Amino acid sequence: MAEALVIRNLSRRFGGLRAVQDVSFAVNECETVALIGPNGAGKTTSFNLITGHCRPDAGSVLAFGRELVGLRPHEICAHGLARTFQVARPFGKMTVLANVMTGAFLRDRRLEIARQQAREAIDFVGLAAKEHTPARELTTIDQRRLELARALATQPRLLLLDEVMAGLNPAEIDQAVALVKKLSQRGLTIVIVEHVMRAIMAVARHIVVLDHGQKIAEGNPREVVANPDVIRAYLGTGYAQPAAAGESHC
Amino acid sequence: MRRFVSQGGFWVGALAVIAVALPLLVSSTFAIDIFIRILLFAFIGVAWNLMGGYAKQLSLGHAAYFGLGAYTSTILLIRYGVSPWIGMLAGGIVAMLASLPIGALCFRLRGPYFAIATIATAQVLMLLFLKFRDFAWGAEGTTMPNLGDAPLMMQFDGKAPYYYVVLVLLAVGLAITYWIERSWMGYYLVAVGEDEDAAEAIGVDTLRIKRNIYLISAFLTALAGTFYVQYIYFIDPNTAFSFNVSVEAALVSIVGGIGTLWGPVIGTVLLEATSALLQSWLGGGHGGVQLTVYSLILIAVILYRPAGLIGILTAAYDRVIAGTKRVNKVSLDG
Repeated sequence: MAEALVIRNLSRRFGGLRAVQDVSFAVNECETVALIGPNGAGKTTSFNLITGHCRPDAGSVLAFGRELVGLRPHEICAHGLARTFQVARPFGKMTVLANVMTGAFLRDRRLEIARQQAREAIDFVGLAAKEHTPARELTTIDQRRLELARALATQPRLLLLDEVMAGLNPAEIDQAVALVKKLSQRGLTIVIVEHVMRAIMAVARHIVVLDHGQKIAEGNPREVVANPDVIRAYLGTGYAQPAAAGESHC
Repeated sequence: MRRFVSQGGFWVGALAVIAVALPLLVSSTFAIDIFIRILLFAFIGVAWNLMGGYAKQLSLGHAAYFGLGAYTSTILLIRYGVSPWIGMLAGGIVAMLASLPIGALCFRLRGPYFAIATIATAQVLMLLFLKFRDFAWGAEGTTMPNLGDAPLMMQFDGKAPYYYVVLVLLAVGLAITYWIERSWMGYYLVAVGEDEDAAEAIGVDTLRIKRNIYLISAFLTALAGTFYVQYIYFIDPNTAFSFNVSVEAALVSIVGGIGTLWGPVIGTVLLEATSALLQSWLGGGHGGVQLTVYSLILIAVILYRPAGLIGILTAAYDRVIAGTKRVNKVSLDG
């Protein structure tokens, strides 16, 4: 299988803090890979380095055969990588439709075509009923949906999702999981940062674990959750072995 | 939607007829002078609003382009006998060229720092024209040669022709804004104004769109500069690069409704008319009273209508006349 994204020795410091240190991993085309780790492990920074919002001190990011380091975010988006932000950043005073059309203009500047593309993306995430609602009036969950639709409207080949499920209730998580699976079935390559383990186990074929900016493990989901380093750094002992009575560490 | 569009078209048409007929109905030169000032500042406001309103790049240095337009046409006229009509376009081009390095420097900054940097550019240009006397008459300025009634040299008998010139300028400015607002550019500009990083993330080349809108905005502002010095027959650095021009451009848009097609026009009508009326009622004898009242009106607008007065008008229009909610627009603050 061809590699969609190859990250080699990626590093970035903020003053004395090594946010990302020498991280390497690869994502195959049509695969869904999860990036997990405790808060401050460098997951969002990795996303920022890959999408050009922040420049790495060292290392390389190869996507579909092209080096992305040094490119501006809009060029990276045009190359087929779209992202969502951890805290949704909709254009508040635009309607849902106008927000998503702004994404669609990347591929076609014609109003009618962009509107049609935008409507497809809005339908896909289930926001069709709120097409004319100003983005600032949406609930948090709908703002996330909107951001996903806006990213999809740029017609990406690779989608980077930063904690799209944070704050959702179990029923909403199931919906979100179904949505991610549907995207994957459409042939999209997905890199997902997430804390909801249930969702990760449901969607990811491969997991990369970061801690203190370094990769501490990677592999298929079953291997990763059994890895002692991962349990110590992130999952907690209560996760791997069902906790004995009176011994819950979660 | 069609019903709404044709109704909107009807009101714009009615407004245009009134605007064209106005000098025929009003003979007072004092009144026409006020109308000319209203149209001129509405036009400058429209030019400023493209960048400051839609893309929220709050420039307080548009006097730089106003002045460059004014000086370019004046130098061409006096030194080389070139008609100000051509000088006007030349001034626009000079302003566009100047906006490239100025933009390259200022767009690195965001928010208030951008505004401060733009103030500096206008001030630097004013100082250059003040100090380099051989280049353009220095601090004392110069008067335009009086050629009598010479339409080809942008000089007219009476004030009515000037009124029509600036009316056409305003119409062009509004047409450009209308077109941009309804194209991908409008969406990109509002997106940049809302969140530059999020806009970049979905493929908007934010530096390029800001540079392009700055080019258009500078060009239009320069046209206003040429018109103004032709109208008052005089130019000096303090007039051409006046900080008041920069402030007024921003103020009329903010009061009327930032990032909306008609905002700058509504803002100028209110502010200029108020200022002119207050001056004629309260100006003589009671020094400063009219400025105090003017400031109080400004404070009231900013306090109670931070999104501009246009909100009141469009809400009333939608409720009373059109009976619809507007939906197919980029920005909802209109």
